[in-house]
Amino acid sequence: MSEKWRLLQTGYKNAYTNMAIDRAVMVSHSMKAVPPTVRFYGWKPSAISIGYFQSLDDEVELETCNKLKIDYVRRITGGGAVFHDNELTYSIVISESHPSISKNILDSYGRICGAIVKGLNNIGIESIYAPINDIISNGKKISGNAQTRKKKTVLQHGTILTDVDVEKMFSVLKVPNEKIKDKLISNVKERVTSIKHILGEDISFNEIADSMKKGFEEEFNIDLYKGELTKEEMELTKKFENECFSSYDWNHRR
Amino acid sequence: MKTKSIYKIPQGKLLKISLNYNEKTNKIIDLIITGDFFAYPEEGIEIIEKKLKNIVMENDILYKKIESIIKKNMIQFIGLDSEGITNGIMMCKK
Repeated sequence: MSEKWRLLQTGYKNAYTNMAIDRAVMVSHSMKAVPPTVRFYGWKPSAISIGYFQSLDDEVELETCNKLKIDYVRRITGGGAVFHDNELTYSIVISESHPSISKNILDSYGRICGAIVKGLNNIGIESIYAPINDIISNGKKISGNAQTRKKKTVLQHGTILTDVDVEKMFSVLKVPNEKIKDKLISNVKERVTSIKHILGEDISFNEIADSMKKGFEEEFNIDLYKGELTKEEMELTKKFENECFSSYDWNHRR
Repeated sequence: MKTKSIYKIPQGKLLKISLNYNEKTNKIIDLIITGDFFAYPEEGIEIIEKKLKNIVMENDILYKKIESIIKKNMIQFIGLDSEGITNGIMMCKK
């Protein structure tokens, strides 16, 4: 019989709540209060998340974000700045000692990305894991991923691009040199793709989530059952949202 | 003297260093290490920033010091390494 993991479908939430839920589930799983958990979610309003080690001022056009009502938040995972606009985001929380999770961090990236690769395959898109933390289709990036490990628990979250507006992306992300902005935009257009670009049509959020669910079930030989956040997780989410992710000190700490 | 560097780690990520150093003593006053790399545990970067204060800005000394901090604190990098941090710091002098 297959192992049963929890599936959370939390819909569209703001950046602070989204990051707080991932952290709350991670804490909850580390205390053995909930099973391994896969979550699918979106961002409303659109938002930028920056990596744990990045400088907010270096990476984000804060004035433009404020004008366009785009949120910005620091993640607890490393990696780069991401503009979350048209995408499905996933997260997985699982114990470091689970037999499916390698002690080797890069190997575990590959394994978890394997679920996304299978999920994309379910909607007719061929892709491969491209270390360090990308998934590419026809040589172009379609997914970026980031992992942290705390209290013997792994959290990996990542994006699956459904559509890309590179011009909008570079209006809110800082570029190192304004003079090469046009070149950078055309480079990124050549290096990044999306589900819509590959399939030539829009696929609904729910359809992509269903394919990803199957992808996780196939990769890890598990059954995902639809669950909800526990009361404790909801309380932790509120706490992390207020005390951490929406706070000036956290977001401007570097 | 306050200075900055941006260094792309070969086969790795982008490292940005903001450094304040004493030109007379050639020692680090403080530094901030930023970038899109990964470190496990994440707090390892703050430990490195703290332990590099007052260290002489010479390639071999920096490299050995960073290596010893990493070993002692069991820090693991992805997309970053001791050589990269050393190079990033030394670039601040140029």
